[in-house]
Amino acid sequence: MSSAAETGGAAQGSPQLFTRKATGLVREGRTIDALFYNVMWSSVALTFAFFWLFYSFYYNGSNAILAFLIAAALGLPGAFLYAMLAQIMPRTGGDYVFNSRALHPSIGFAANASYCFWLAVVYGVYTTYIATYGVGAFSNMMAGFTGATWWISFGEWFSSEAGLFITGTVAVLVSAAIFIIGGVRLFFRLQVGAFVLYMLGAFLLPMLVGLFGSEGGFISNFNEYGANLGVQNAFSAMQHSATEAGFASSGFDLTATLKSVSVFWFIFGFIYSSNYFAGEIRLKKRTHMLSIPGAVVVAVVALLLLTPAFTGIASYATNGAFGFAEPAAYGFANAPAYPELMAIASGSPVWGTIIIVGFTVGLLIWLPQTMILISRSMFAWSFDRIMPSKLSYVEPRSHSPIFAIAIVSLLAIASTAIYAFTEWFSTISALLGLSTTLIVTAIAGIALPFTQPAMVANSPFARRVAGVPLISLVGGLALLGFSCAIAVLLWDPGSGTSLAHNPGKLELAVVVYAVGFLVYFVSRALRRSQGIDIELAHAELPPD
Amino acid sequence: MGLFGRKKESADTGLRLYYASDIHGTEVLWRKFLRAPEGYKARVLVMGGDLTGKAVVPLVEDGEGGWSSQLFGQPVSAADEAEAVELEERVRANGMYPHRMSAEELERVGALSPEEREKWFEGVMLDTFAQWLALAPERLTDPEIRCFVMPGNDDPDGVGEAIERASRVEACDDRVVEFDGYTMLSLGYSNRTPFDSPRELDEDELGARIELMASQVEDMGRCIFNLHVPPYDSGLDNAPELDDDLTVVTVAGQPSIAPCGSTAVREAIERHQPLVSLHGHVHESRAASHIGRTLCINPGSDYHTGRISGCLVHLAGDRANYQFVVG
Repeated sequence: MSSAAETGGAAQGSPQLFTRKATGLVREGRTIDALFYNVMWSSVALTFAFFWLFYSFYYNGSNAILAFLIAAALGLPGAFLYAMLAQIMPRTGGDYVFNSRALHPSIGFAANASYCFWLAVVYGVYTTYIATYGVGAFSNMMAGFTGATWWISFGEWFSSEAGLFITGTVAVLVSAAIFIIGGVRLFFRLQVGAFVLYMLGAFLLPMLVGLFGSEGGFISNFNEYGANLGVQNAFSAMQHSATEAGFASSGFDLTATLKSVSVFWFIFGFIYSSNYFAGEIRLKKRTHMLSIPGAVVVAVVALLLLTPAFTGIASYATNGAFGFAEPAAYGFANAPAYPELMAIASGSPVWGTIIIVGFTVGLLIWLPQTMILISRSMFAWSFDRIMPSKLSYVEPRSHSPIFAIAIVSLLAIASTAIYAFTEWFSTISALLGLSTTLIVTAIAGIALPFTQPAMVANSPFARRVAGVPLISLVGGLALLGFSCAIAVLLWDPGSGTSLAHNPGKLELAVVVYAVGFLVYFVSRALRRSQGIDIELAHAELPPD
Repeated sequence: MGLFGRKKESADTGLRLYYASDIHGTEVLWRKFLRAPEGYKARVLVMGGDLTGKAVVPLVEDGEGGWSSQLFGQPVSAADEAEAVELEERVRANGMYPHRMSAEELERVGALSPEEREKWFEGVMLDTFAQWLALAPERLTDPEIRCFVMPGNDDPDGVGEAIERASRVEACDDRVVEFDGYTMLSLGYSNRTPFDSPRELDEDELGARIELMASQVEDMGRCIFNLHVPPYDSGLDNAPELDDDLTVVTVAGQPSIAPCGSTAVREAIERHQPLVSLHGHVHESRAASHIGRTLCINPGSDYHTGRISGCLVHLAGDRANYQFVVG
């Protein structure tokens, strides 16, 4: 920045605007950085693993590519809506402020509290998968490649209830320690290394293995691997076990494909997490518009490359058989996820280690990433005095919100216990609760031009299409996409929230919302007794 | 003892002060600021500096009664006077100054040296600011309402002079003022920034000015520091780190955040322990924290959203409570 005129893009070489010496005239955060964050947090690799692990149980005959393309299409209008809202209300903390301003503070709080609650529930998925498909799979792989059988018992422990809970709890505590010892700065440094390992291990190497390998080579490696685990002709043994258990390979099944959209909603319903990057002067619409919908495109491309690479090694039928077969029949403690299968296909413990470690690091880094997200929401509640100010206390040495992190850690450990010791929730049960907040945000997008007309009129999205405000139109499309996704979640037994198979889950989502409202109104009453009206936090002053 | 605070405070007792800062040329925010007595029942208003904007958007005559311009990097046009007025409103609402110009004038200003253009910019800003100040007597009709305004580090000298001349608003920069049994010392200068803004001082000079004012305060338990720049490393001064090109430094997709407040301000707060200290300057660091017994507040700024970020401070004797508001 200088006091010179900005000239980029001027039609006749004339200035677009004149700026002067003043603080804060920084360039916008780079689009690529926001894109990076969205792609990393949306857990493409984990979701890909989900699909194949659930395939035989719920989605036999589903076409993965068609399913994730449908999920992406349902999420795309939402991606544009979040990008627009982030542009209109930059640096303001996501759906909590969008919904508080567009609808009502109580709705904003209840929706955001619900979102945070369900994110805390998802912690248990990540922590238990770290134990089973990270450490457990690595141990299994070492036994399979080296024949050192002690690795087997070592790995099996990680799949036990105690192993799941202890490993998950340690992972949560290590995540919290990152912030308490080194603060956000240390986390960002670790995230750089994590990103490199994740991209290399979870995507690049599996794609290369798929490109240069074959199913025949995989079967040969699998038999050798199984022999080291104590089972000869392990692949045939696996198929035999699957057949005995009733597995029959199915052709393409549209119903199964539509149901499996619920798995890929894990990515495309929640790929909107960046909203920090906004310039002091909004010269461009591009940053959010590229980084949020752009992340959808990147995820789709990654899946388009990874899916044929994987199915070239382990076909749909093979994956279906793995699901039905008794793991002990082919020498395993658990059915292997795609990283272990690609490790086997690579034929090398070194490549295999990189693949499994890369996948696991993607799970590990999600834990502190989500701690930041939830603690930021808690910050916002505390700023608005809905929650005690302790929640926004920042420890001076590490610059970390230690109370907020402690609360998130306790919730994460509780969730780990639930997933380790109970079957209350399935792997993707939290998607229903999370998606209800998306619905509220879509309604906020529709309502914004009417509840905050000046805000929209002065934004880059002031125009109308056929008389309808652009953001209302996009909000309407987002509502349609989100509603379709919720309909699939309520229909698909694999979602864990099916109305027919999982009674009580929809009611639970409603109760969580209701608790959010209750907390808001109790807090409002308490604050009033202190001379504070929390509803003033977002009440607009009339300009005229 | 209440769950949410140490002591209960009645809504009907004490003094409610409204503080906002860094509105950066956004006229709608100034208009809203002057509505705080009705909207928030505030009896004292404090505007903590950085009133002027950072960019002028030329509306260039097209020779056919219309105007062309660019907003958010997109070409925009106004076919007639009504559309031109509407476009000007949009520009103002985004913290920029619309300025109607002929193509010749645009070319002339574009060819000015940086120093000459700074001067030209100042003229545009001060014309607008004079119109803002004229609104105060119209809106602050209750004589009991006190309204203090000071320039910040981004405001050129003419802003302070205009405040001194204005009626119904009170200048407070670099001096001590009193209201309702409380004392407030104010300073709109900042420490050095990478931006070379108009009102910056070295830390020792900043500290000396604060000390001079603090020496005039009898009761720090009822004193408010109104210092534009926040204390160093207080949680109120976290801003994205910038490289030499003034681009935000990012690490792994996240902006690298670093404290940028004033060490002199921090030392002054630590030494004198006023009841409250009010700050602006770092827009993205909306926060409240304590340094010793002093409640330190920075309401931040999202001026280009058309909403004014502020803070209501409830003063009751030697106790203070706060509430962030976005009006």
